[in-house]
Amino acid sequence: MDTIGNQSTSSMAETKTSSPIRASTNNNVTKRLQTELMTLMMSSTPGVSAFPNNGDLLNWTATIVGPDATPYEKLTFKLSFAFPSSYPYTPPTVLFKTPIFHPNIDFSGRICLDILKDKWSAIYNIQSVLLSLQSLLGEPNNASPLNGQAAELWDKDPAEYKRLVLGRHRELTAEELAEGNM
Amino acid sequence: MDYNQSDELAQLQKLSNEYSPEAEGPLVSERISSSAITTEYANGDPVYQIKTAALPQKYSFYRTCRGDGHCGWRAVAFSYFEALQKTGSKQKFFEEETRLRSLANLFLALGHPEHVYEDFAEETYSLLRTIANTNDDGETLLATFNDYGTSMSIITHIKLLTSAWIQTHPEQFAPYVVPQTIQEYCQRSIEAANCEIENVGLSALADVLVKPAGFAVEVLYLDRSPGEEVNTYRFDLTDQHGTVLPASHTLRLLYRPGHYDILYRPEDIPQPIEQPPVFVNLTSTMSEHRPDFHGMAGRDDNLAIPGMSFAFPHQTNWAFNPLYDLPSAPVPTVSQAVPVPAYVPLPVPHQELLPPQSIPMEQPISPPVSQPQPSSIGRNGPFRPCTYEFEINHSSVSLPVFQTSQFKNSHFNVAHYNNPDFQPEAWNPNEEYKHTERSRRNRSQ
Repeated sequence: MDTIGNQSTSSMAETKTSSPIRASTNNNVTKRLQTELMTLMMSSTPGVSAFPNNGDLLNWTATIVGPDATPYEKLTFKLSFAFPSSYPYTPPTVLFKTPIFHPNIDFSGRICLDILKDKWSAIYNIQSVLLSLQSLLGEPNNASPLNGQAAELWDKDPAEYKRLVLGRHRELTAEELAEGNM
Repeated sequence: MDYNQSDELAQLQKLSNEYSPEAEGPLVSERISSSAITTEYANGDPVYQIKTAALPQKYSFYRTCRGDGHCGWRAVAFSYFEALQKTGSKQKFFEEETRLRSLANLFLALGHPEHVYEDFAEETYSLLRTIANTNDDGETLLATFNDYGTSMSIITHIKLLTSAWIQTHPEQFAPYVVPQTIQEYCQRSIEAANCEIENVGLSALADVLVKPAGFAVEVLYLDRSPGEEVNTYRFDLTDQHGTVLPASHTLRLLYRPGHYDILYRPEDIPQPIEQPPVFVNLTSTMSEHRPDFHGMAGRDDNLAIPGMSFAFPHQTNWAFNPLYDLPSAPVPTVSQAVPVPAYVPLPVPHQELLPPQSIPMEQPISPPVSQPQPSSIGRNGPFRPCTYEFEINHSSVSLPVFQTSQFKNSHFNVAHYNNPDFQPEAWNPNEEYKHTERSRRNRSQ
């Protein structure tokens, strides 16, 4: 409770300085992300995890394990989260770092998911995004694909689909991981 | 259509989808004259010209809200806090915090875990407490709402409240959101971070936030519909039978397609207390500032204390003792001063006990009666101590003013030690008792 009181007093003081919005926004983002980190560490959710890169709270690396009974079963995927200073009022930028074959994810790892765009809400958090992405792996939205081939094969040829998933998937090299940690 | 062209169109479509005008201006602006709206449309559509021309007469001021997709939510939230502050009751803030905290039950009913909303809600509670303990003209509130993080937290909180209210009252709102379900609608049009308030949301927000606090909401629609004035829609307080109840305050929003601002009627704005001019002809000042005096007089408790109005001992001498005994002297009687109490409402007992004292105070404010008197008093008053001062100031008009509630304790009064002509006030019990006796005699006659 004390921290909250101090926060509001300090933000009041900052409104009198020249760039009040920037200062207090960063303050709020940091506070929010710290809370999220605590929550993630206290409650371990099977199949998803996330941690800030080298102490930079605005850039995180997350891991998703492919859900059972899907072509992605037992595969792990690394993702990067970049949080804008207006987070949680604008969504984080989320990318798949591990190469993935999926109807709604392009070859650069960009994701087409409404909650990461116009349906974003401040009540979502890293954990709920990761869980949504995990379920997206098993339930693609084939109506608006980024990867047409994947959308077509999903229903038509599950075996070929699975082959392509496994063919594209590989563990990231140490350099690639480090690159994400910059 | 060949491939290249459709590709180009897709590209353009993508650009157009991603386009959002750069929102400018403060999140919530200072209060400005609404004639600015008229000016804005001076060269615009004739319908707008007519409608905006009529606007400033009824709604004298407005505040702009930044059009970043949250302006409607922000306008309601800001006006809600402003209305609370206007009530001037600390207790009211406490009640509201308690009420809003109790609304957490709505979130529980929807299965939202506490951590989802508590950070946002905490900013609302914290601002309620801050404003409750702030005694200013809304500067703190304005500064807080211009802090992006804090105001977005509060907006998110009230959006979540609205969403929860709609979802827990499906029978009321479901017909308005078809073909969507209530849940779809809330997710897409209320909870989404970047979505402007719509009618359903505004109605629910009024139900959950504004009306229980005793306020009504009025939306003025400025659009191209035919008519000479903006269309008004009210969300009134009603009882269970639909009867409209009086609201202690009305939040007013100006809606232009896609955007909300805050409007004020002249009576919504606390009148600034004008600084009394320092050395001026007080006769004219009096008439100009009459409304302010009216307001001030109500607060004055000292006025009721007998003897407190004796700011000028010397004046008392010339004004009362000799003249009151002269039957021919045109001294105003109490009955002549009767219209005056509306202006400096003296308690009735005071007038009855001390009619002579009340007369000089009221002289300047009943001009038709008192105007001819200065000369007669000046000539006839043998005990008036300073002829020079009297001549210069026409002081029978100006000096007694210093005994009114507003000036009595100011340095304009020579009884005040800061006055350059400071004269310690001497209270003469004999004199006062003599008056009282005489007034009793007069009354009994």
